[in-house]
Amino acid sequence: MLRTRIIPCLLLRGESLVKTVNFRKFGYIGDPLNTCRIFNELEVDELAFLDITASREQRQPNFKILQEITNECFMPLSYGGGIRDLDTAERIFQIGFEKIVVNTASFTNPGIVSQLAQAFGSQSVIVALDVKKNLWGRYQVYSLSGTTNQKRDPVDWAREMEERGAGELLLTSIDREGTWKGFDLHLVRTVADALSIPVIAHGGCGSVADIGSVVHQAHASAVALGSMVVYQQQGMGVLVNFPEREHLQQILSAE
Amino acid sequence: MKRVIKGKDLSGLQVCSRCIYDETVPGIVFDQEGVCNYCRMLESLQEQYGTGTPRGEKALMEIIDRIKKEGRKKQYDCVVGVSGGTDSSFMVVKALEWGLRPLAAHYDNTWNTAIATQNIRKVLSKLKVDLYTHVIDNKEADDIIRAFFKASVPDLDCATDLALAETLYRAAGKYGIKYILEGHSFVTEGISPLGTLYMDGKYIRSVHRLFGTMPMKTFPNMPFGTFMKWVVLKRIKKIRPLWYINYSKAAARAYLEKEFGWEDYGGHHLENRITAFHHSYYNPAKFGTDNRNNSLAAAARAGLISREAAIKIYREPPYMEPELLEYFKKRLGFADEEFEKIMSLPRKTFRDYPTYKKRFERLRPLFYVLAKANLVPMSFYLKYTSKNEI
Amino acid sequence: MITIVNYGLGNLGSIFNMLKKIGFASKITSDLDEIAQAEKIILPGVGHFDRAMERLDQTELRKVLDHKALKEQVPLLGICLGMQLLTRGSEEGSLPGLGWVPAATRRFRFAADSPLKVPHMGWNVVHRSSASPLTAGFDGEFRFYFVHSYYVRVDDERHSILKTHHGLEFDAGIQKDNIFGVQFHPEKSHKFGMILLENFMRL
Repeated sequence: MLRTRIIPCLLLRGESLVKTVNFRKFGYIGDPLNTCRIFNELEVDELAFLDITASREQRQPNFKILQEITNECFMPLSYGGGIRDLDTAERIFQIGFEKIVVNTASFTNPGIVSQLAQAFGSQSVIVALDVKKNLWGRYQVYSLSGTTNQKRDPVDWAREMEERGAGELLLTSIDREGTWKGFDLHLVRTVADALSIPVIAHGGCGSVADIGSVVHQAHASAVALGSMVVYQQQGMGVLVNFPEREHLQQILSAE
Repeated sequence: MKRVIKGKDLSGLQVCSRCIYDETVPGIVFDQEGVCNYCRMLESLQEQYGTGTPRGEKALMEIIDRIKKEGRKKQYDCVVGVSGGTDSSFMVVKALEWGLRPLAAHYDNTWNTAIATQNIRKVLSKLKVDLYTHVIDNKEADDIIRAFFKASVPDLDCATDLALAETLYRAAGKYGIKYILEGHSFVTEGISPLGTLYMDGKYIRSVHRLFGTMPMKTFPNMPFGTFMKWVVLKRIKKIRPLWYINYSKAAARAYLEKEFGWEDYGGHHLENRITAFHHSYYNPAKFGTDNRNNSLAAAARAGLISREAAIKIYREPPYMEPELLEYFKKRLGFADEEFEKIMSLPRKTFRDYPTYKKRFERLRPLFYVLAKANLVPMSFYLKYTSKNEI
Repeated sequence: MITIVNYGLGNLGSIFNMLKKIGFASKITSDLDEIAQAEKIILPGVGHFDRAMERLDQTELRKVLDHKALKEQVPLLGICLGMQLLTRGSEEGSLPGLGWVPAATRRFRFAADSPLKVPHMGWNVVHRSSASPLTAGFDGEFRFYFVHSYYVRVDDERHSILKTHHGLEFDAGIQKDNIFGVQFHPEKSHKFGMILLENFMRL
């Protein structure tokens, strides 16, 4: 039986790890490799790294750091940030990452998702959807680290990405990110129910109970954690951690 | 060139008859009994603070009562600096035992071993103590280390020590806390001579200006004005409980291991890789100094081990995590030749760069008053404001 | 020396690094002499069955490996595609496999509306089917990271040492004398992978 995946999602800014709130102001978390070592010790099953300025700065992923990360981590890894063509994707896979995440490129070059799926298999291609509510309370999809409003409805866009061959969807609520307020259950549920591919809920997790809610009530197949794994608590200091395995198991098996 | 780090052989040198500090220790003087001035300084401190006596314990309890009273209406009544090491982890335990409500504070220089972070997490989560941290941009941290490396001084990682002090003050400042508890014990660590580690905000700024390549934005420096703000304006006191009471490091470690699953990392200060590199490779290789004599001398002084045993341990090379040297070079981007070239540069000290030392000396009377009021550690007064090189 | 065979397929760095982490030196190489002198061999692999067999057959590598595995009988561990190559053939391609273990490699086939996905990708629990030095210490729940679209079934159950379940039960680990195979990626299975590799190194 495959278990629900709980994935620390770490943000790379240049060669440092940072954490943002609502995709804006950031705080330093530490050295990426040092942090990887700690997640190794914590026996985390999967890690995701997102380079949050690669697309905005129109540059390539930092292959050097990525190679060092794969050398340090003994679990499956996903990477996103600045992937716009097959060659870059291929290089990321060769470095040792299991999956890639595309966001901005899916808007500037929609065909890329199908190309990547065909070349590397859907299961290795995650499409990221960053969602924010507008003034009238309507959900809209954003690209370029939350700076460009694509004016698309998340469910429509998600369906289109699924059709194009995305293997998974990383659904991030910009409004909830870094707030510890819990996931946007309504958003996750509407998208998850509309798709057959797995949806990874991201943005707002403040407790293990939140993980339970988003899986059981909002039908998320997997959960990505940000603030919760790099801060001791909300408003407190940086301390890399991961929820207790027994606690997670308890919450995930209860229904 | 494969450098072999040796231990320190004290044969042929005059060695203190009580501890194991030898004649090469900066500022050392031996009296008629062959006892060194550092031992005498410690004697005097023990007398002053009543270490391990009922008088000392009473003095500490009075301070603790004051801390509780002054912190009554606040969220926390004291700040405890934590590093993942024995002393600081134990200090959190004791603080709670004494009925205090501590806020733990940590400065993350981004070179922590996973063990250090885990230790902090294990202790604080079981004791339910909140943590304040300051994390420096890892690139900036590396830039500062590179600068000090190129400056050719023994104070390779003094930036971390100063940043920790500043971080503790900031934590205290944020929550209006007036007391910082530090786990320093002169009985187990001795007083390290000034020549082995010097730090102040101007020193760091000068070295960084000369050899750094990126602006210092996230490094929590402590310029003189800031130092005075914390000490004179905010009047935040520094208390070192282990100066008043008996402390057994071995017992503390055993307790931590049993209660929290705390893990040992192989030696004093080795839980952080840059500190480990500093003590186990850099100082011995470049300056022929080996800081283990601080704790070894202290252990001998306290009668925990015999002088002979201490001297024997000192003769063995210091423990170093394998590949620490490679990690240092790789992380800081030094090719082997460049690394060797810098290692071979002529030795310098803090006196070769602009620092606040003269100012500290001029303000000696002020710092005496501040030390008596626990606003600066007495050891700071003794070392930094004295014209003698100790 | 423990040799990790580099025949152009698979991420070898992770295996090297995990061995290093548990305290063992190893060598990634495609050099036939080095492989010929190896005390132990790891055969990784990711990708297409035929592509892999071509690479092995078209160089002298096939001869060297046959000799090491069957004549010299050094311990040899196939990982993921590397395990599938040990069988006589795969439904993925048309070329025969190494045939060192009597087994066949088949494709996962699930109904279109089945919740089960291909490839089998993710962490899954394994259980021991027959005793083996490779699985010493596998007490309690042992899980590993899998990613594959084809699975192996041994002819003789005595050659199956680990089983797992994805729609159907199949062999997650096999052994015939000195030849071992694991379908999962120990180098991506942190503490569990380390225990398995340590067992292999202690053979």
